[in-house]
Amino acid sequence: MRAIWSGSIGFGLVNIPVKLYSATQSSKLDLDMLDKRGHANIRYARINANTGKEVAWENIVKGYKYHDDYVVLTDDDFEKVSPRKSKMIDISEFVDEDKIESTFYETPYYMEPTKGGEKAYVLLREALKHHHKVAVGEFILRNRENLCILKPLGDVLLLQKIRFAEEIRDYADLDIPKDITLKPAEVKMAGALINQLTPKRFSLDKYKDTYDEELMKIIEAKAKGKKITQPKFKIVHNKSKDLMSQLKASLDTGTHTRKKAS
Amino acid sequence: MDITKTINGKKLTFSNLDKIYWPEEGYTKEDVIDYYNAIYPHIIKYMKDRPESLYRTPNGIKEKGFFHKDAGLAAPKWVKYLPLYSESAEKEINYIICNDKPTLLYLANLGCIEMNPWNSTIHDLDKPDYFVLDLDPSEKNTFQQVIETARVIKEILDKAGATSYPKTSGATGIHIYVPLGARYSYEQAKDFAHLIAMRTQELLPEFTSLERSLSKRGKNKIYIDYLQNRKGQTLSCAYSLRPKPGAPVSTPLEWKEVKKGLEPTDFTFENILKRIEKKGDLFKGTLLKGIDMLKCINRLS
Repeated sequence: MRAIWSGSIGFGLVNIPVKLYSATQSSKLDLDMLDKRGHANIRYARINANTGKEVAWENIVKGYKYHDDYVVLTDDDFEKVSPRKSKMIDISEFVDEDKIESTFYETPYYMEPTKGGEKAYVLLREALKHHHKVAVGEFILRNRENLCILKPLGDVLLLQKIRFAEEIRDYADLDIPKDITLKPAEVKMAGALINQLTPKRFSLDKYKDTYDEELMKIIEAKAKGKKITQPKFKIVHNKSKDLMSQLKASLDTGTHTRKKAS
Repeated sequence: MDITKTINGKKLTFSNLDKIYWPEEGYTKEDVIDYYNAIYPHIIKYMKDRPESLYRTPNGIKEKGFFHKDAGLAAPKWVKYLPLYSESAEKEINYIICNDKPTLLYLANLGCIEMNPWNSTIHDLDKPDYFVLDLDPSEKNTFQQVIETARVIKEILDKAGATSYPKTSGATGIHIYVPLGARYSYEQAKDFAHLIAMRTQELLPEFTSLERSLSKRGKNKIYIDYLQNRKGQTLSCAYSLRPKPGAPVSTPLEWKEVKKGLEPTDFTFENILKRIEKKGDLFKGTLLKGIDMLKCINRLS
């Protein structure tokens, strides 16, 4: 695993040097977009909506639509609001974890103590376990301020990014009925159903993303089908043939020029 | 310990010279600056007029370094820089152009143990002077396999009629450069490199791979990296020091040296100057006459 951030947890007078690692990975199949004819990769281009022509990166700016007109922002403007550089996860308070709704939860990261932080790391983890609390803190990642909680997860301390309150929507607009009375028998029946579907030992491992699995089966079957007609090295060779003719075409059309006198 | 010196009329302050960069060997920041001071006449040929990606390791080789973007503005006034749009940073950043000794030493003082210039120059930023194949072995590969892969690449390039120049990466791999004479686009350079990489992989399927994703590549495959031939991608240049144990230098080789017995750690900042004295600059061909790509392809097909 590669650390994505390194710094320290700070609370009171104690600093615990740590590294952060992503706790999650995408399990989605990596599919490429291709041209049906010849399987060339599709690339993105940035097009001027008026002229239909491609725009070079150096001519692209970012703007915000403000009263029907665009306010263009420059690097200086972004610089002005970017937070001071900090390598610190500042713990401000401790709280019972169930005080934080799951709607607040964002990406989880594992924390690893670095040199000199081992003991304090274990101490913080055990103290949190013992008191059933999580720590609430702030830190700066990729130039943005982030809110997080630190909580013990087995042997590791987990840093769970959480959303700011202003990012959570209100559901007052939804039509949720308030004045419905339930009969005791109905509640009892629903309860019985819940009990029936509650296993003695629960494990999320048994839930699999079967869509990708099925898709992979199809891919493998299709790839195998090809192999019958063409040995594997041939497939590769065709790919290099495609590339070769594509490159040849680009060279033939004279898209290269002589080196400018310098 | 800070020292201010005037070099070629440019005032430069060197800081923390006694900072240990290689704890096991005891080499310091001052050793790095001394090295670049001595290697300047050779390395500058491969840095001149090229935007420089600053990879800084100011705490020595045991700590991960970082890429310092937009270094131009913070530099002293006499340091040359060029504002360019960086796709990865999604904004215009000011790249330092290192054309003289004071600038090189300024970079060394920032904690740049290695030097990472672009493949193209400011004379035509869209046309690389060469393309590179970067052989990057995995944990379980032997250096002998890296050598074998390099030799296969050389064979294919010979068949294509393309001259090629190998150098140690300074870490565990080998870089192979093919001069293009700034006549082709990055896209064409990358495609041609890809083609050579594919041919190589077909011949050595057991221990080479073009798979970019580490997890899919497996631990016993050498990655033939042809993707360094994109605008703004950089490798450590010839004669660059590397932040690795033993203070190795990315060292140009003769093809006849690329054989059993060669070790990636053979060349360090302690013996490189003597070697240049004896062998001369083996890399100057990379900046001379480029290949004719179309002819090369025709010879391959």
